[in-house]
Amino acid sequence: MLERALNVFWIFLGAAAAAYAWTLGLIGPSGPESGLFPLIAALIVMGAGIALLFSSPVVPELPRGAALLRVAGVVGGLAFMALALPHAGFAVTGALAMVILVRTAGDSSWVEAILLALASVAVVMWLFGQVLGMALPRGPWGW
Amino acid sequence: MKHVALAFVATFFIGPALAQGDLKAELAKLKPRDFPTQPIEFTVVYPAGGGMDVTGRLLAKYVEKWTGERVIVNNRTGGAGMIGHSYLATQAKPDGHTVGVLANLVWGDAMLRAQGRWSLNDLEPIGYINSDALTWVGRAEGPYKGYSVKQIIQAAKDKPGTVRVATVPGSMWEYIVEQIEASSGAKFLRVPFQGGGAGIGALVGGNVDVAQGFYSEFRGHLDGGKVAPLAVASAARMDFLKDMPTFNEALGSSDYLWQVIRFAVVPKGTPADRKAYLGAAIHTAMKDPELLAEYRKFGVFFDPKLANSANLAQDLGAYVEAERQFYVKTGRLK
Amino acid sequence: MDPLAGLLSGFAVILTPQNLYLCLIGSVIGTLVGVLPGVGPLAALALLLPVTFTLPPVGGMVMLCSIFYGAMYGGSTTSVLLNIPGEAASVVTCIDGHQMARQGRAGAALGIAAIGSFIAGTIGVVIMTFFAPLIAAVAIRFGPPENFGLMVLGLVCTLFMISGSAVKGVLMVALGFLVAAVGIDVVNGRERFTFGSVNLSGGIELLSVVIGLFGLTEVFSNVEQRLKTTVVAERVTGLWPSLADWRASWRPMLRGSGLGFLLGLVPGGGPVTASFMSYALEKRIARDPQRFGKGAIEGVAGPESANNAAVAGSLIPVLSLGIPGNPVTALLLGALIIQGIQPGPLFMTQRPDLFWGIVAGMYVGNVFLLLLNLPLVGVWAQLLRIPYRVLFPVVLLLCVVGAYSANKNVFDLWVMLAFGIGGYALRKLEYDLAPFVIAFVLAPLLEQSLRQSLVMSPDGAMILLQRPVTALLLAASAVLAALMLRRKSSPKGGGGS
Repeated sequence: MLERALNVFWIFLGAAAAAYAWTLGLIGPSGPESGLFPLIAALIVMGAGIALLFSSPVVPELPRGAALLRVAGVVGGLAFMALALPHAGFAVTGALAMVILVRTAGDSSWVEAILLALASVAVVMWLFGQVLGMALPRGPWGW
Repeated sequence: MKHVALAFVATFFIGPALAQGDLKAELAKLKPRDFPTQPIEFTVVYPAGGGMDVTGRLLAKYVEKWTGERVIVNNRTGGAGMIGHSYLATQAKPDGHTVGVLANLVWGDAMLRAQGRWSLNDLEPIGYINSDALTWVGRAEGPYKGYSVKQIIQAAKDKPGTVRVATVPGSMWEYIVEQIEASSGAKFLRVPFQGGGAGIGALVGGNVDVAQGFYSEFRGHLDGGKVAPLAVASAARMDFLKDMPTFNEALGSSDYLWQVIRFAVVPKGTPADRKAYLGAAIHTAMKDPELLAEYRKFGVFFDPKLANSANLAQDLGAYVEAERQFYVKTGRLK
Repeated sequence: MDPLAGLLSGFAVILTPQNLYLCLIGSVIGTLVGVLPGVGPLAALALLLPVTFTLPPVGGMVMLCSIFYGAMYGGSTTSVLLNIPGEAASVVTCIDGHQMARQGRAGAALGIAAIGSFIAGTIGVVIMTFFAPLIAAVAIRFGPPENFGLMVLGLVCTLFMISGSAVKGVLMVALGFLVAAVGIDVVNGRERFTFGSVNLSGGIELLSVVIGLFGLTEVFSNVEQRLKTTVVAERVTGLWPSLADWRASWRPMLRGSGLGFLLGLVPGGGPVTASFMSYALEKRIARDPQRFGKGAIEGVAGPESANNAAVAGSLIPVLSLGIPGNPVTALLLGALIIQGIQPGPLFMTQRPDLFWGIVAGMYVGNVFLLLLNLPLVGVWAQLLRIPYRVLFPVVLLLCVVGAYSANKNVFDLWVMLAFGIGGYALRKLEYDLAPFVIAFVLAPLLEQSLRQSLVMSPDGAMILLQRPVTALLLAASAVLAALMLRRKSSPKGGGGS
């Protein structure tokens, strides 16, 4: 099921990209224009999608239940980091995200999670801030 | 004798030291309270190691020297400068901790590509740095060896589409070629590259006949005898290459002025006292003879009108307007 | 100055306490940067550039150069141990290197990687010593048509790397082209596939793609499976490569060195392309290519040598011509310029102390790195004993910082996450992700050089045949492609569709 859906996705993606590439122009006075290479690539994607529809689909092992929650937890932790980083700075966001990650995906207790989060954020900030001299984002509280 | 010795020491050591100390003190007086609270970021919108980046880093070094504050250079690259320009105009906090080190290429981005998301009003110039004039160079060997710029343009007119010139699409590298073609009836074969330096590499390898770039980009090849300078698009001849004519001289006009103008900006809304402090810091750094000497090594020049400008925004504005006129004339802007 | 005399004078310059110290610092930082996923040599060099202002030119340049190739040494560490590439040039090492770790042979993999890197680095510097001016004179003539020929060859080699379904592999290559087109078309300055977004106008960042596709997917897979408490269940047996490993590796090392060096010379080439092409070459040449992907040591020896040799190769255009071929060498060029030095054809004769000092520094740096990395193999192998539930969040944190460090743009984090989720799904559906990455890297160069060639040429596409090197490269590509098709259709060949 998933594979079939993906194949259909490739076909639509290829078609849409091909249409867009067409509007960029294909051949100009001095050779290929912006659209030519993307058009060829898009058509290949579309063609491959169609060809795959005719082959026997792979049945993937999808995560279920607890496994799904773990993966979702990791995704959530990362998304939280991307969302909050520009606003709250690295120190806070990193520590909170670490706690989310450790708790959702592992067997650690709250204490372990918080300790690990604080320790790793501190080390990373030292490593990047002092050793490598890279400025990590700061929150409104200045650090 | 003692007086002579004292005078000597005073003039060459104590004098300058006092003067330095004076300047530093002057600058310190302008420093607002509780600023800066973190290192000041000089945002450079081009990749590390390039001409703009080197300019920014040297400036940062001397601003650090004169203010005693920490300045770090941050490269926000991508989209041929667009990402960095947008960041400065729309996202950077206007609290004085972010200073943009820009070139006049930002004007093209603002007028042609910003699509209403931001405008030049969002960036307030605080200090002029230097200017670099676009130069045409030819090969030291090959069919056009020894040609002057006029002869090359003539060749492009006689045999249209055969003289290959390296350009960077969407920028002054292209505009100058357009301008020359329009006024002389010549037709060049424009080979696109990602930057001036790549074009000069192609020139040395014999893959193009004319390359465009800045002195710092071709100096090594010039010294090695591989390239021959043709003309420079500035008002006066370059100090380093006194034998090379300007385009205006060679073509009998005054229109061929294509330079990179480098200046510093802060995002709109930066508090006036911080803006004044930063502007004074840059101004002071730009008076340091050491910095000027380092910049001169790159073949840049200092536009007197901008270097001594009382109202930088206004004087730059004159150049902005000239560029806008060019875009309107060539149909890029309505 | 004849090479040997020059080299000796270079050693005289480098063998001072300060310069040796700087070389060591650079090597350590380079290794560190290579090990950290996402942070690559470019970021480290950009950050440390200001430090060189206060240093004497030789010392500063030696430090920067040792960071560059140090990163190639360190990059294999996380690739082998965690299946997460330390940076883009170590992606291929994951494929077989990690499988070796799973078989308890992490020590052998890391050891071969370190030694291969040393051999390649040394070979590269030796070639530089004796042939730099000659090579530079040839490299300068490489114009857009020649670049195009080389990129086509690289693309054909990519097809060799496809394991599993050929259709899916081709789809990934095409998708790589498509995604690479997002951004500004360098040939005419127009925006493609950006839909008005400023972030997209800068294109998709390679680092985010690599960390997402290989780093995040690996973490997702492991987390899903509710591991096994450690990455590798078996104890690490033997920290040293066996004799059999040596016998299998020495030829790939030499091949990788040669290939990597050549690819380093070409603009747009460099360690990433070199590592992929070396892998493809080894797989193609091997008598039993089915071993690849399951822990074939050639798949580690070749690419790890290639990426180091490519560093030496890429320094030649910069030092001898003043022309940088990739962002890292552009930065090195900038560092020299800031010091008031102009690399170019005269650099060797005008500043022999500096040129030979840098070359001698590379010999010394390679030795330092070997001495640093070999003992560390034992230390790194212990990393595998850390419970995953502690290890993976730290690795993720490093991935986030690494991805962010490229452009300081949070958008790159979203790109990383998107590719992570996408890659995870694609892996489940048995898509091979490596061809996507190499296509993503090669596509812009291929397209740009073809279009430049066509513009330059009065006879259109004929220029590709008129220039001998280009014609040769294209012919080689055609031959290789034919060979590959034959192999795929024969029962002995690998994978079918």
